[in-house]
Amino acid sequence: MIEVKGLTKLYGDFVAVNELSFAVRPGEALGLVGPNGAGKTTTLRCLTGIIPPTRGSIHICDHDLGESPIEAKHQLAFFSDEPRLFDYLTVWQHLVFTARVYQVADYVPVAEQLLAELELTSKKHVLPGELSRGMKQKLAIACGLLHSPRVMYFDEPLTGLDPHGIRKMKDSIQRRVREGAAVVISSHLLHLVEEICTHVLILKGGRKVADGTMADIKQRFLQGVGVSNLEDVFFRATSDVEESTVP
Amino acid sequence: MMGALIYLQFASTRNRLIARLKRLKQPKYLIGGIVGAIYIYFYFFRYLFLGSGHVPTGHATWFTPENRMVIECGAGLLLCVIVLASWILPNKRAALTFTEAEIAFLFPAPVARRTLIQFKLLRSQLGILFTVLIFTLISRRAGGNVLVHALGWWLVLSVLNLHFLGVSFLRTMLLDRGITHWRRRMAILGVVGGTAVGAGFWVWHSMPAMEVVDQPGEILEQVRRVLTTGPLPYLVYPFRLLVRPYLASDLTGFLLAAWPAVLILLAHYWFVLRADVAFEEASVEASRRLAERVAAARAGKLRGGGVVRARRPPFNLAPKGSPAVAFFWKNLVAAGQMFNKRLLIVLAIMCVAAFFGMSGSSHSGGFLSLLGMFALMMLVWSILLGPQVLAQDFRQDFKMADLIKVYPMRGWQVALGELLAPAVILTCIQWLLLPLALGGLIRLDRGAELDMGMIVGFALALALVAPPLNLLSFVIPNASVLLFPAWFQTDKAMPHGIEAMGQRIIMLLGQMLVLLISALPAGAVFTGVLLVVKWAAGWWVAAPLAGAAAAVVIAMEVAVAVVLMGRWFEKLDVSEEGGP
Repeated sequence: MIEVKGLTKLYGDFVAVNELSFAVRPGEALGLVGPNGAGKTTTLRCLTGIIPPTRGSIHICDHDLGESPIEAKHQLAFFSDEPRLFDYLTVWQHLVFTARVYQVADYVPVAEQLLAELELTSKKHVLPGELSRGMKQKLAIACGLLHSPRVMYFDEPLTGLDPHGIRKMKDSIQRRVREGAAVVISSHLLHLVEEICTHVLILKGGRKVADGTMADIKQRFLQGVGVSNLEDVFFRATSDVEESTVP
Repeated sequence: MMGALIYLQFASTRNRLIARLKRLKQPKYLIGGIVGAIYIYFYFFRYLFLGSGHVPTGHATWFTPENRMVIECGAGLLLCVIVLASWILPNKRAALTFTEAEIAFLFPAPVARRTLIQFKLLRSQLGILFTVLIFTLISRRAGGNVLVHALGWWLVLSVLNLHFLGVSFLRTMLLDRGITHWRRRMAILGVVGGTAVGAGFWVWHSMPAMEVVDQPGEILEQVRRVLTTGPLPYLVYPFRLLVRPYLASDLTGFLLAAWPAVLILLAHYWFVLRADVAFEEASVEASRRLAERVAAARAGKLRGGGVVRARRPPFNLAPKGSPAVAFFWKNLVAAGQMFNKRLLIVLAIMCVAAFFGMSGSSHSGGFLSLLGMFALMMLVWSILLGPQVLAQDFRQDFKMADLIKVYPMRGWQVALGELLAPAVILTCIQWLLLPLALGGLIRLDRGAELDMGMIVGFALALALVAPPLNLLSFVIPNASVLLFPAWFQTDKAMPHGIEAMGQRIIMLLGQMLVLLISALPAGAVFTGVLLVVKWAAGWWVAAPLAGAAAAVVIAMEVAVAVVLMGRWFEKLDVSEEGGP
């Protein structure tokens, strides 16, 4: 569903992402992890079509994002860490606007259901300025889900959510994965990635350090160590000292 | 502790200055800085460097002995009104505005409240000194001693600053004693009203009867009499004491006149420091509002920090159809914050007035002609300033570029959608102004030789040309956003200072030049069609036809521009655009 081949992004001489290739199939959730400056955000921005890659190709549901951006973008949704909303549109007006942009013909029942699910029905005619951080996040999610995307990208999805919201967000992502969506989650919260994702991709300095299922990765990096969580994997995989010794 | 606060202020100011100087390494800021400096020189400093002999001699007569009394009383009255307003209007508790960072660092720190007030007063002196510089450079044109003017302005502004702070403390004290804002206002208005009635009675009995006059000289003489005789000079006496040092002819005169004002200043300072008013909670709120205003201003919103209200959409947006219309719809909702019912009512009243003007009523002819001329002037200005005032387009949405780029839309669709709303709004305003201007022209020329066919024909031509011309005029600032995104980085610190001002001047001049060049082909087509058709038919037919032909040419230019803008938007990589 998501197929990335040789993705490279340069800023002048600086290589932000270098020859990155991976695939995410329906029903898979890929955790994109790496230290600060590893290239996670740049990768996500390329995957969503926000910035064009310098080299390489990205296919979304068999549509080349570079060649057929409209068709590809119809299939995806991007949930940024900071909800991006229009100050002057109410909650409902955001959904009306999104429906037109994504050409969602029968959007009213879907929108009503999303608002109910996300506990936003009572805030239907309220502007974003009057919403809490968590509610803004929920509105951004409602807008993203309105066109039933088959590919979803989450950038730090738990930022600003209360424990109740965190639980609901995790459940929601897992449900979409079970329903056959392809999901990419970029996060520093390794326990979240470990809990939700089926696959992990570890980036460092714009390069892929490791890629595979959670079990494969753990086996590869923690052979004979005795502990088996993603945090240990992360530190072993991204450690300069031990990098060369990792099998 | 005060030393740490002074260090904070000093280091912040120095670092800000260094950052601005470093920015000048970039050519766009350097050029902007040069243009800004030239502008400031010609606007403010020219007279200063040319010496007093070059001050326009007509202005020097302002400070004659007989005028001094009028200026002293007039300025005293103005200060009195400002001070009364500070007692009556505000409805908030005392709040010293700090930045959010200052609140985070200073409020939990072991800093005495009095120290914070002193720090605030010290910092306000920076703003006051800058204002003194600007005011002195402006008032310098009216003649007089520069040093005396500067010191005079400093005294007045410092006292006002302390007074506003003191009043806010007093207001809070009254609130703490259960005296509400309305009770305070009623009491003050009662005193002011009683004094005004008494003064009016005094004037009525002590001054010679005033005649109804209509000549400017006679009106000025009446004003002079009211200001300098009767009760007014006594009523505004404390305020006259503040103004008097400014009006001194030399430094000796200033020193002699300044001591009462200095005493007033010291009394204010003593009160402000002595008043132990809890301002912290209100300051946190005020600082939050300030941060919102700054963020809104950086996002290019005219009504920054104001309350944004939910608006009813202008029409029901169907889920199917061109997605460009979604942007048009969204931006009309946004424009509803500014382009609201009140403005429409004002414009409608103007149009009704135009209708009466055109109907030929002989009453109020001068007023209607004036209104018509005003409308004509507004029409011309709307073409030049419309794109600066109405910014419900890329300029508003630039901070959302990341989100918009995820939408399944072609670049040209986004560009078209962004341009439509402000262009349509501006066209509506112009179409409303057009009959008004037409009515004014007809009334002005009543009795003279006037080709009605020509006037109406050209008005129709203008109405036809307006929509594409407005689209074109909005293309220019929007294309600038896409081509020079670093200049419009609304989520970063907005550059300001002389260089940023110069940049804006360059941008405005560039916009006008590009608009002029773009309008040339349409102008040629308009002239050609007009000359040919006029020969066969009258103005009635020729002008609208020429207007339609010109509109088609401009529409073609707009179409090309929209396609180009779409490509630029698709290629736009905001993350590559660094810079301050």
